[in-house]
Parts: sequence; structure tokens; C-alpha cells
Amino acid sequence: MAERAVDMAAAPLGAAAARPTFWARRRSRELGLIWLFLLPSLVIFLLYRIIPLVWNVVLSLEFWSPYRPARFAGLYQYQNMLFYDDAFWKVVGNTLIFMASAPIGIVLALGVALLVNQQIKGRGVYRTIVFMSYPVMTVAVGIIWQWLYNEKVGLINYVLISLGITNRGIPFLESFQWALPAVILASLWQVIGFYMIILLTGLQSIPPNLYEAASIDGASAGQSFWRITVPLLKPSLFLCFVVGIINSFNAFDLIFVMTGGGPGHATDLLVTYIYSTAFKLGHFDYAAAMTVANFVLFVGLAFVANRLAGGEAGAVKRRA
Amino acid sequence: MDRRRPHKRGHWPVHLALALISALMLVPFYWVLKTSLTGENIFAYPPSLLPHDPNPFYFVDVWYAIPFLRYLINSVIVSIMVVVANVFLNAMAGYALTRDFPGKGATIMLFLSCMMIPFQVTIIPAYLITAKLHLLNSYFGMALPLMSTIICIFIFKAAFEAIPHSLVEAARIDGVPDWQIMFRLIMPLTKPAIATNVILSFIWSWNSFLWPLVVVRDVNMQTLPLGLSRFLSVVEDTTGALYAFCVMVLVPGLLIFLLAQKEFIKGLTSGATKG
Repeated sequence: MAERAVDMAAAPLGAAAARPTFWARRRSRELGLIWLFLLPSLVIFLLYRIIPLVWNVVLSLEFWSPYRPARFAGLYQYQNMLFYDDAFWKVVGNTLIFMASAPIGIVLALGVALLVNQQIKGRGVYRTIVFMSYPVMTVAVGIIWQWLYNEKVGLINYVLISLGITNRGIPFLESFQWALPAVILASLWQVIGFYMIILLTGLQSIPPNLYEAASIDGASAGQSFWRITVPLLKPSLFLCFVVGIINSFNAFDLIFVMTGGGPGHATDLLVTYIYSTAFKLGHFDYAAAMTVANFVLFVGLAFVANRLAGGEAGAVKRRA
Repeated sequence: MDRRRPHKRGHWPVHLALALISALMLVPFYWVLKTSLTGENIFAYPPSLLPHDPNPFYFVDVWYAIPFLRYLINSVIVSIMVVVANVFLNAMAGYALTRDFPGKGATIMLFLSCMMIPFQVTIIPAYLITAKLHLLNSYFGMALPLMSTIICIFIFKAAFEAIPHSLVEAARIDGVPDWQIMFRLIMPLTKPAIATNVILSFIWSWNSFLWPLVVVRDVNMQTLPLGLSRFLSVVEDTTGALYAFCVMVLVPGLLIFLLAQKEFIKGLTSGATKG
């Protein structure tokens, strides 16, 4: 405050004699303000994104626990991870299966988006209902679904038995065979609305005269879907896929509540395995190595998906 | 004949398909609501599809059996901190990014690349950093990582850029200081961006589970999701109280979403497409 008062007093004096200094000072004050405005956000992202990323790499090259001083470990943790930990590969496999379920959800969501995109009454209501599961607390979603999957009185088993598909309840979440698909279904239920919204936005940005021109040229509905809709939706499809990959990180809440990673490691994903390795067993160094692997996997898949989408999505991103 | 059909045909097949999909999406909500009102008896097979003798007993039960109010207050405090910080910090950063300054390109690149780092991947060092800052078991520690959101910074940036430049210039010529231009002139003109940011950050902090799970050990500091998962581990999953608790946790989030879904969806999609 005092500083400003001095500035105010000095400005009129200097203004007549040396205009450039006035503007220079004003400019530098402005720059200071700009950085002041950016500072809090920058500090937060530095503290909770950039530094952790680097620290993870450092930690993964050490022997470290909260009670021991750090020692350089070289690639010991990575060796351990790649060659001696069977659970790690099981968990990577589960994570990949989980990510591979994203395209199924995206195709379903595309179907819903095409339906909702028609000029029909009440489409806003349908859209709201399909999307409603997305903003819901994931922990609650987990509890709801483990209840639906209940062996004795769960709704899903009741329906299956009533339809004669099985004659006794299946303990979905305790079964090695069914636990992962069961969790994936719950996760799809939650995320499908988000896919739909992204695809709907994409559909609505396709100029309608393209379809008119195609139908005048005698294109069938199928042809205009594959030749117009799908190519123009590529960036949206790519985005959905990235959301799907990220969703395998968010699945932590769901898995923690529904199965705790079990039975065995049947539903353990990288996130849940990393969590239990670090915060239950206290092996922070090893968990850090797996985190690095997880991040590499994520970036690699996003890169490949971007390539498949023709790189357009990247262009959209960079423009902002 | 294929071409003639779309125009005059009734829409009932579309409605039928959408009604079916909606029903499937709503079943889990219905089922948890039903159980919260009636409970379930594992020996009474088959489960009744309609609520049989509904009563609010389990809701009362939850209120007395667990420190619901404590969880609620904790959740509300953390969410308020996150929402307020988000609006101010993101608006400030977004405004700064509309101006020209050396290092602007690098800053934007930094933000965009931060967006490619999922928070879950930073969890171990983030925990260690929070411990070093002596913020474990504190509201501030729970709120801090969520206090600024890159998507919302860019939403603010876009909103600021849409404001006519002449207006700002006029104010500046009149000698209005920058911070007053910000809060008196620009903030009121960016209400939609603010609304979007409030809703997004509220939902994110309200639902946040992994981070509080890591930084909070003290039972008195637990938020609703932590309380919910704790409750699940101590009660039989057949009791109606668990689902009553679920319903009580779901209602605020759903209400806010239903009241402000336009802003919510707009924020998510613009964030998703614009980076």
C-alpha cells in the first residue's frame, strides 16, 4: 500500500520529464501483478504435479522407507518389478483389460448418443438420466453395485435365476472369474454418460449439410455413418479413449470398496496395487517404481491413441 | 424407400430404446433407495422388487449410529475451501494468461503438460510433501491439491477473452487499478465461468476419496466418502442403514448436478475439447 502511494506521488513528477520510465515502471508493475496472479496456481501444480513426478523417479532408484535413510539402488526396484514380482504382471494385465473395456463403453455410448441426437421430444430428460451416474460419488457407486451383485439377495442374481440362466446365485465379487468383469461393468455404468456427452458434442458439431449432400448423392444411412460420422468424430472418440484410460486410475475408489483388489489379485489394478504396496506395506520405493511404469503406460497409450486419431485431437488441444 | 422413412415415421422405436436404456441406468439408484427404506432380510428369498412396508427407520439409525454430522461438517469445510480457492486462483491465473508477458508460452505449456499427469500417479510424493508441510490430518492438507484446476483456468481464460477489450481499456484509462478491474468489472461479466468452476470443483472435492484416504488417519477428520467406506467395513452389507447412508451422501451431489447440469456439462466438455 505504502509503495503504491510513493508510486502515485512519483508518477506525475516523472511523467513530464521522462515518459519512457513511467511506462517502463508501469509495465514492470504489471508484470509483477501477472506473475503474482499466476503464482498460487503454479505453486500448487509444482508441489502436486511436477515435483512428485520427478520425485517418483528419484524414489524408484533408491532404497527408502520413512524410517531408513535413502541409499542408491540403481535399477534394483525395476529389476524386482519386471522379473521377480508375479503380482505386478497380473496387475498390469488387469489394468490393460480394464482399459480395453473402454472401447466397449464408447461403442455403447455412441449408440445412445446417436439416439439422443435425434429430433425427439424429451431427449433432454434421457440425456440427463444417462449422464446422472457420472457425478455421483464413486464410493457410493461401489457400495450400490456390491449390493446388486450380492450372492443371496442381489438383484442381478435374482434376475439371472428368474430368467433361468443360472440356478443358484453367483458370488460375483468373490469369484476369480467374475470379479474383474463385475467391477468393469459397474465402472462402465458410471462413465458411459460422460462418453455420451463427449460424443454428442462431437455429433452436433458435424455440419448437417454434409448429410444432405450425401443423401442427394444417394448414400445409404450406413454409408454416411461410416464415411461422414465416424471420420469427423475421430477427435471425440480419441478423447473418450483418453477418458477411459484415466478412468482406470479413478477406478481406485470402486475397487477399494467392492473387492479391495481381491480375490487374490483378481481385481487389483496398478493404482490399487501401488496404494497397498506404499501405504499398507510401507514399500514406498518399490511403489514409486511401479508408479513410473504406470505413468509410462498412460502416456504411451495416449500417444498411440492420438496417432490413431490422426493427430487431430492433439491439434485441438494445443490450440487452447 | 430407405430414404423416405426418417421424415414421417413415428419416433416410438427410438423412445422405446431410450426408455429401456434409461430404466437400466436408473435401476441401481432405485435399488439402493428401496433397500434404504426397507432393509433386506437374507432369509427372505426372493427379494421383493417393490418397497415393502417402507419406513425412515434406517435414516434415523444412521444419524445416531455414526458421527454423520461430523463427516458432513468435514466434507463441507473441505469443499468450501476447495471451491473458494478454485474460483479465486483459477480466475487470477486465467486472467494473467490473457495478457502478454515473457514466458507466457512456457507457462501454458506447463499447464497443459500438468494436465497429462493424473493425480493418482503423484500420490506417494504428494503424501511425503504434505507430511513435510505438516499438513497431514488437516483440512488444508486435504484441500490443497484440489485448490486449482487447469481445465477451469482455461475456461476462465476463454471467458475473459470474450470480454470486449475496449471496456477494460476504458476502465484503465480512468485509472482503475488492475485488481479492481478484476473484481468489479470482469468477475461479474464471467458469471457462467464462475458457475461452471464452482460446480466442477464442488463435485470433485465432495467425491474425492483416495487423497483424503491417504492424508487423513484421524477419525475426527474423515469426510463422507471415508466414513461411508469405513461404515461398509464394520456393518453387515445387508443392513438398510448402509444404504440409507449412501442415499444421504448421494443426494447433495445429485441435487447440485440436477440444478446446474447445463454449466456442469458445458464445463466438462469444454475442458475435454479445449484442453
